Amino acid sequence: MALRKRMGDNLLAIGRDRDEAAFADFYNYYAGRVKSFLMGKGMSDEISDELMQEIMLIVWRRAESYDPAKAAASTWLFTIARNRRIDYLRGNSRIEVELEDEMLDVDSDESETQAGFVDAEQAAERLHRALEKLPQEQRQVMHLSYFRGQSHGDIAQWLDLPIGTVKSRIRLAMQAVRSSLKDENNAAPVKESGSPIND
Amino acid sequence: MSVSHHLTDETLHDYATGGLNAAMETLVACHLTVCSHCRARAGMADDVGGGLFDRLEPVTPRVSALDLIARAAHSTDSPEADTVRSNGKSDHGNVVEGVPRPLGRLLPAPLEQLRWRRVAPGIKQYKLDDKHRRDGAFQLLHLAPGAVLSEHSHNDRELTYLVQGSYRDSIGRFQVGDIADLDGSIEHQPVVDSDMPCIALIATQSPVNYSGMIGKIMQPFVGI
Ligand SMILES: [Zn+2]
Repeated sequence: MALRKRMGDNLLAIGRDRDEAAFADFYNYYAGRVKSFLMGKGMSDEISDELMQEIMLIVWRRAESYDPAKAAASTWLFTIARNRRIDYLRGNSRIEVELEDEMLDVDSDESETQAGFVDAEQAAERLHRALEKLPQEQRQVMHLSYFRGQSHGDIAQWLDLPIGTVKSRIRLAMQAVRSSLKDENNAAPVKESGSPIND
Repeated sequence: MSVSHHLTDETLHDYATGGLNAAMETLVACHLTVCSHCRARAGMADDVGGGLFDRLEPVTPRVSALDLIARAAHSTDSPEADTVRSNGKSDHGNVVEGVPRPLGRLLPAPLEQLRWRRVAPGIKQYKLDDKHRRDGAFQLLHLAPGAVLSEHSHNDRELTYLVQGSYRDSIGRFQVGDIADLDGSIEHQPVVDSDMPCIALIATQSPVNYSGMIGKIMQPFVGI
């Protein structure tokens, strides 16, 4: 999709040249969405706007850390926004994997994420199509869990559904997305602890 | 490292959406450090978030892009501070050998030199950061060879990461790097099954009566 490519290119241009036009294009598309995300998660208009500005400044200053081979621009931005929101609420950093950890298992990293895909853009395209194909009820629950509710309990309450139904819709959506990505990439099923193999 | 017990989709989803408390996040990050399989799955959950992000209905920002940049150019904020905080990666904290860094950063000393508190024969406990107690319990358990925990289930969600040694229960055998991702329905009775002390990192999600939970998990007897 042209938009995704353009946004990725914008990040590269910002990282390379501090390209103001590229930043403006990125900002005009995403700033309102970042703010929408923060407000949806329960922050006031004012705080959401302030935090959105901080997040977009991270984009401006740190775009060189964006690697188009690893993630779509929207994924990169989403993780920054999610983490910055948690930092703000917690007064402490979100805990993430540290890529320089000497215990890091790097063996199959590339093969698991990228095998079967020509590039990240193709992977993003597949993911996009998988999301399009999700039944409305699953997409709604996914949207709410990423951008609205704090917990599955909140979502269950809003939708007036049993919490088990919310959880199973999320699980089905994750499985649908994964299997769409695995069509040409048949990884062996792996056992999750505490639950039978169900994918 | 050969890992055979992984995170559930549900937990990875909650990690991606920011729905876990700090204790559970730390534990998940430990497993992701040693498990490229789950790291790829976590990356997919982030990708879903990115894909859905494009569909959000925008809310008009108060400033324009160029105003924001112009203001930033005049501000005295250190740009460095942004990324360090936003990534949760900082230089401070310890590197403890054999311990993934998300946990190592919380430890003041190597595992055996921690100030363990004996809670039962063969069982010692080390509580991690008190601030985690607000929304769940976070602790290390040190189990002597042969130690057996009493059979129990969990009212709340509980995650266990195996830091050292191994144990066996009705679900299987758990070794270093493995995750036990249990919901409330599962009854189990872990038994330490090697001649090395077993050290497990345990996090629970929702507010629990801390002493109550310890009482329930720990009414152990030692010796098989
Ligand atoms: Zn795993």
